[in-house]
Amino acid sequence: MHRREPPPQATWMLEHLTTGACDEALAGDLLEEFRAGRSQSWYWRQVLGACVVSWSKSLVLRGPAVAFALLWATLAPAWKILVDGIVDAPVFTSLWNFLGPIWLPFALVGWIALHATFLWAGILAYLLVLTLLGRKIRRRESRQAFWLAPVLFAPFAGLTFVLANLYWYSVPGLSQARLAGTSLGQVADFGVLSDLIRLPYFIAVLGALWMAIPQSKRIVGHLPGLFAEGADAEARTLRLQSPADPDVVRRFFAFMVIAGLINALIAGFLLCRLPAVHDPTLGSLLLRAIVYVVLGGAAGAMGAYIYWQNPASPFREDPPLPFPLFVLVCVSGWVWVPAMVIFAEALSAGAALVAMIGAFLLAVGLRSATYFVLAPSSSKGHQGNPALFEEAMYQAPADLAGYAIALCLYAAVVAIAVQWTLSAAALLALGAALFGWKRTIPRGGAFFSAHEYQRTALRVVLVAVPAVLVTAWALLDGVAYRNHVLAGLDTSASASTPAPKAEEKDAPKKATAYGVNGYQSVILWPYPEKKEIVAPRLQQASFLAPGSTKPAVIRFTGAYWYMQPPDASPGPKAHQAHGSPLKVNIQSSDAIPLVMDAHQTLPDEVALTRCREVDVDIDNFDNKEGPISVALLLGDGPNTSHRTLYLGQEPIVSTQPQRFWLKAAPVSETLRFAVPARGELQRFSEITVLILSGTEHRWIAPRIAVRQFQLIPR
Amino acid sequence: MASYLGEFELMLLLAVIHLGDEAYGVPISRELEKHRGRGASVGSVYAALERLEGKGLIVSNLGDPTPERGGKAKRYFRVTREGLRQIRETKQVLTKLWQQIPSLKTDVG
Repeated sequence: MHRREPPPQATWMLEHLTTGACDEALAGDLLEEFRAGRSQSWYWRQVLGACVVSWSKSLVLRGPAVAFALLWATLAPAWKILVDGIVDAPVFTSLWNFLGPIWLPFALVGWIALHATFLWAGILAYLLVLTLLGRKIRRRESRQAFWLAPVLFAPFAGLTFVLANLYWYSVPGLSQARLAGTSLGQVADFGVLSDLIRLPYFIAVLGALWMAIPQSKRIVGHLPGLFAEGADAEARTLRLQSPADPDVVRRFFAFMVIAGLINALIAGFLLCRLPAVHDPTLGSLLLRAIVYVVLGGAAGAMGAYIYWQNPASPFREDPPLPFPLFVLVCVSGWVWVPAMVIFAEALSAGAALVAMIGAFLLAVGLRSATYFVLAPSSSKGHQGNPALFEEAMYQAPADLAGYAIALCLYAAVVAIAVQWTLSAAALLALGAALFGWKRTIPRGGAFFSAHEYQRTALRVVLVAVPAVLVTAWALLDGVAYRNHVLAGLDTSASASTPAPKAEEKDAPKKATAYGVNGYQSVILWPYPEKKEIVAPRLQQASFLAPGSTKPAVIRFTGAYWYMQPPDASPGPKAHQAHGSPLKVNIQSSDAIPLVMDAHQTLPDEVALTRCREVDVDIDNFDNKEGPISVALLLGDGPNTSHRTLYLGQEPIVSTQPQRFWLKAAPVSETLRFAVPARGELQRFSEITVLILSGTEHRWIAPRIAVRQFQLIPR
Repeated sequence: MASYLGEFELMLLLAVIHLGDEAYGVPISRELEKHRGRGASVGSVYAALERLEGKGLIVSNLGDPTPERGGKAKRYFRVTREGLRQIRETKQVLTKLWQQIPSLKTDVG
């Protein structure tokens, strides 16, 4: 027989949409009655009634907060006008231009910060009044109120904005509404537009104060001890002596740290870019470094918070450590992530060093802060019969962490040697974290929350300064590396390219740079020629003569194109330079593999019926393990509808796993492509070579060059 | 100044006394329903009980969770000495008031 279950939606409402301390008993009573034969409609009525009763009771208890939120929100239109004036200031316009494509997150943060100032001022004023009236303020809830206000404000402001725009012409008077010109007029205006502006502020202030205001004595009566004199410290102590299994707590701490770390890494890889200019000033580098360090810390905190507040997290209801304290501790590690990412992108061993420092600092901080939560286990060396122990010979304790640290160190050295920068960074970070965790001697004495906050905040400040400097160093290193990669590449390749348009001539030189960390695409012309040399004319008579078997050899004189999908051509702002693919490293800044094409224009059209085979002679100087193939396309030139004929794909044998070796000099190979007698084309005047590489080359373009083509007569 | 009980509060206190050790949400609601002739929302019953507890007229304690209730504990209520005193006072006041209305006294009796 099945047990009757009430509607799950109603149960969810009962659990989540009611306030008060007797939810459990109420839910149990309703379930008992329902299973005793009550109907679903009865259950729904009871749940809705409980919600109404609960909220009305809470509203009555928080009447002063509601009134204050209304009062404070009245000032909102005047504040909005003030904020709009600040945002439109020329200094911010310059700042957005400076930040380039990543301006949006910073603008959002700035916008929220400006509005949060107003909300925080309101909360502060309210708490001040309560304090003056002699009401006891709970510090933890007050802090929650301060961060909750902007968190609530942002989505409700967005929602109000969307709704207002949707019903701009439907709501009477809205489309014609204008705010008054004076601050007093704006405050006294209770028109629909002003009220719409006030709404998100009201919700944010009320929601924040809901958490912060002292509970009435009637509710206090249900929770003896928690709100008594000095109960805050006692509650904190009790919380720190959480009865949760230390292993579970330790595991979840590790999980939160890793979640934050991954988020910081994602933010680092997506947002931390090198300056666009080749010779950035120290000031701009420092400013960028500060932004990136803040970004690393904020992203880490956000990642940890998501999992901390997850319904499956045991820390959500009974945190063994206050979340802000946990974040402050971990920030000392996360702030190093941007520097590590920038170093890694420059293939610098500095990435491993920075990862090691960050992991060590994080582990040391975490060990100190969680010492009171994770009670130290008794030393295994003292277990057993003491007398027997005294007589036995000394045995070194089996320290698995020590072996792991040693292994990490050795493996990291190997990884650095083969330029696996990220692997080396991960290994060294793991080793440093283990070392820091095991070797940190926690402080003795009692846990005082305020003292711990002060210590941790001081540590964050002390760590942030070197983190900013190291990030600036990473940026400098990255710029130097980028300049080195492009060294020898002449940016004034206009002589060999079609004449630029008038407006392109006047554009500054850096306009060829696209994005903040390099170029959108690159065209590499053969070195050292200054202009494209059209291949020598084919000896038509001999090549086309029936019965001729002598191949026509065409030396490759075209350009190499480097771009990323979905681009099919480099585009007008492509960076143009001279060089050979065998000598330069052209890298992807975001792990999206580069597409590499080689293009050769023929002086005359060749009939498809006369050419049996195209042989491509290539030079392979690629020392990155991973298969590379070559595909060939014949085209009929730009003057027609530009049809192409695909001749297939051939692997470069010397890049195959079983044939791969580190090369000291380029290796030559010939790839043969059969030409069909009939196809989409009758004649061709262009040859395109596609260099196709796998994920192993996601960071760097293959170092393959086309030497020449041989057209074999049919 | 002595505070007097409201009608609903008085009913709740009497129901709690009547139910004794079995005074928790469900029986209290049933008791009220039986005597009033109409049901009372369990939520409002709890709200009133909390109010009484805030006044110190009743106390509550949680019982053991049971599977029939989805693993949720019952909350048992018990009238305090102060609660009993207020019930007596209210009864005396009401009795005196009723006695001053002879025409209705016979109907009630």
